Amino acid sequence: MGVRKIDLTLCTGCGICIDECPMDVFRMDDEKNKAFIKYLRDCQSCFICERECPEDAIYCLPTFERRIPDPW
Amino acid sequence: MAEEVIRGIDVLVIGGGLAGTLAAIKAREAGARQVVQVDKAYAGRSGCSACAAGVISSFLPEEDDREQMFTDMVVRAHHLCDQERLQDHFDDFPARLKEMEDFGVGFERLPDGKLQRHPGRGTGKFVMFHGGLQMMGAMRKAALGAGVKIVDKTMVTGLLTRDGAVSGAVGFHIPSGEFRVFGAKAVVVAAGRCWNKGRNPGNRSATGDGLALAYQVGAVLEGLDQARWNNMAARYDIGPGMNMYVGSGGFFVNSKGERFMERYHPELKDRAPLNILTPSFAMEARRGNAPIFLDLTHLEPETVLRFKRVIPMPMMMFERVGVVAGDRFTRKVEWEPAAIQCDGGLKVNRRYESTVPGLFACGDAIPPGSGEGQRALPGAMTSGGRAGRFAAEYVRECGEPELEREQIQVLREETFAPLNRNDGIEPDQVLLSLQEAISPYDVLILRREERMERALRTVEEIWRDQAPLLCAYDPHYLRMAHEARYMTLVGMLQLRSALFRKESRENLREDYPLIDNESWLKWVTVRREGDGVKVGAEMLPVERYPVKPKPDKTLHPLWQRVEGMGIVKIEQGEVRWA
Ligand SMILES: Cc1cc2nc3c(=O)[nH]c(=O)nc-3n(C[C@H](O)[C@H](O)[C@H](O)COP(=O)(O)OP(=O)(O)OC[C@H]3O[C@@H](n4cnc5c(N)ncnc54)[C@H](O)[C@@H]3O)c2cc1C
Ligand code: SF4
Ligand code: SF4
Repeated sequence: MGVRKIDLTLCTGCGICIDECPMDVFRMDDEKNKAFIKYLRDCQSCFICERECPEDAIYCLPTFERRIPDPW
Repeated sequence: MAEEVIRGIDVLVIGGGLAGTLAAIKAREAGARQVVQVDKAYAGRSGCSACAAGVISSFLPEEDDREQMFTDMVVRAHHLCDQERLQDHFDDFPARLKEMEDFGVGFERLPDGKLQRHPGRGTGKFVMFHGGLQMMGAMRKAALGAGVKIVDKTMVTGLLTRDGAVSGAVGFHIPSGEFRVFGAKAVVVAAGRCWNKGRNPGNRSATGDGLALAYQVGAVLEGLDQARWNNMAARYDIGPGMNMYVGSGGFFVNSKGERFMERYHPELKDRAPLNILTPSFAMEARRGNAPIFLDLTHLEPETVLRFKRVIPMPMMMFERVGVVAGDRFTRKVEWEPAAIQCDGGLKVNRRYESTVPGLFACGDAIPPGSGEGQRALPGAMTSGGRAGRFAAEYVRECGEPELEREQIQVLREETFAPLNRNDGIEPDQVLLSLQEAISPYDVLILRREERMERALRTVEEIWRDQAPLLCAYDPHYLRMAHEARYMTLVGMLQLRSALFRKESRENLREDYPLIDNESWLKWVTVRREGDGVKVGAEMLPVERYPVKPKPDKTLHPLWQRVEGMGIVKIEQGEVRWA
């Protein structure tokens, strides 16, 4: 299921996940100054956001976000 | 939509992976004044480079026998490799490696200070670095330090040309939807390969964009018939590390629990190169022995702990789903061919210039100089370095290119067209149709004309009927829509190219099981001709090459092997399954 959670009690709205996600999954809630997961289906489970978040606010799971046909 | 025009660029690099970053740095070092690197995501965090596992197939002059390594690589590629580029690769590799370490890329060193080497697949020797993220973080910093201007979140959707030469590119800024025009004397395509968003996290931003963009302006693409398939965890979205796993004693079993690789490649077994390993999986599937599993449960704790250090990402992911607990693998992992990829790219000369003047290419966007050696990260290192340097040399002779308003306007309309189609087809639908057509193992892994023809007809239908209706709700979806278009186009060109090669070589054909050095020491090329596709072949200049192939026809070694195992018979020049 790729990226699963942003802990809003930890998120400081620094924007790093939004900048660095290669699949453009996050956006910023400008009012609350917190990131949110917008385009989950495009997440590629690379965990870059989790590793780069300075507040350890992001949690990912390495499971598929969309069906990929099996070769057999 | 607003428009921003950036002019006065000497070298525009498309792609922020390792190849593009080295190209940008080297272009600056070679005197290019204004070097701009553009990425649809974030340079240094996107593409395969940022997700690379942590091993680099290496040549260390003080430890390795260059001539022997060179010959091995050529022979293992069944001679389908550019030996001149491979020589240049050997010349450059040690210096690129040293520079990367100077830039802050972390490598594993032994207490005596020597680089730690590790065996992996094939007979290559690897050095280990601390994962793609660390590597690319250091590389981005190095690019900024060298005076490269980085433009993130900007997807290139068209190349500009003037009098047949490249003059820049256009694209859009994803967060704002703004249209962007880059006027540049030279462009380096370093936008990676086409991985069709398959299994293999990290590759889903590499969607063949560079190939499609270059094809549109008439560049010749080469080697799209060739594919070396990686394989990955089937049920978890976890990236590679297989070089480490099989290099440290991991092995594959089929559904009957048999260690089948002992039979397909008695010498290297599970460490067989990918062009043996993945077809062997497919043959097991053909015989009804799928699924395949990778077994690592017997590994010693110290091995597992070393994995955790050297390939931290996949290990952390395996831990999350309980496959790894502490210092042990707890269960076997189902394994499958990964993404549907092709190895081809822009045809380039020894200066990494494509057939379009001023358009250079490197890394995964070009066919590898050899099946092993100049491919993947080592290939990105040496080709990126040279492409940047030669692009900088090229622009010394160039004046400021003029931009044609009309051309820009056409590309602008094309770029934003999916945004105007609110009730069109979602990119996911096109992607899934494409994957369903080309991912079955008996289309491109085990090949036969009728099956590839059938897949081609389906992909052509997707291109004709679905791609023009792609819709986008916002600029994020606009990126996905263009990616779906590019993948479909590349898929079509890949199948056309694969059908053209009537022999087995890197890939196995049931209807042409011989490696045919009499007729097929050739690259398959493909280019646009009007609205049509022109496929052809070009001889390898073997007369200039140091390692000469025998001009003969022989049954492909893997077909030979499985004939001996009694799995297939060769009858009337074709493979028949027993
Ligand atoms: C998960 C994974 C692990 C790997 N591990 C290893 C390893 O351990 N060792 C090894 O040798 N090789 C490894 N490989 C292969 C290796 O990573 C690649 O061959 C290499 O990184 C290619 O580098 P590149 O710069 O050519 O392309 P990439 O790194 O793929 O970069 C392409 C860049 O272009 C950008 N881009 C694409 N299209 C556009 C566009 N239209 N506009 C703007 N920008 C665009 C992308 O966002 C991306 O940043 C691995 C590959 C994968 C997928
Ligand atoms: S990186 Fe972490 S702290 Fe920063 S915006 Fe994202 S979730 Fe919040
Ligand atoms: S796991 Fe990767 S693709 Fe998914 S949200 Fe995080 S950074 Fe983006």
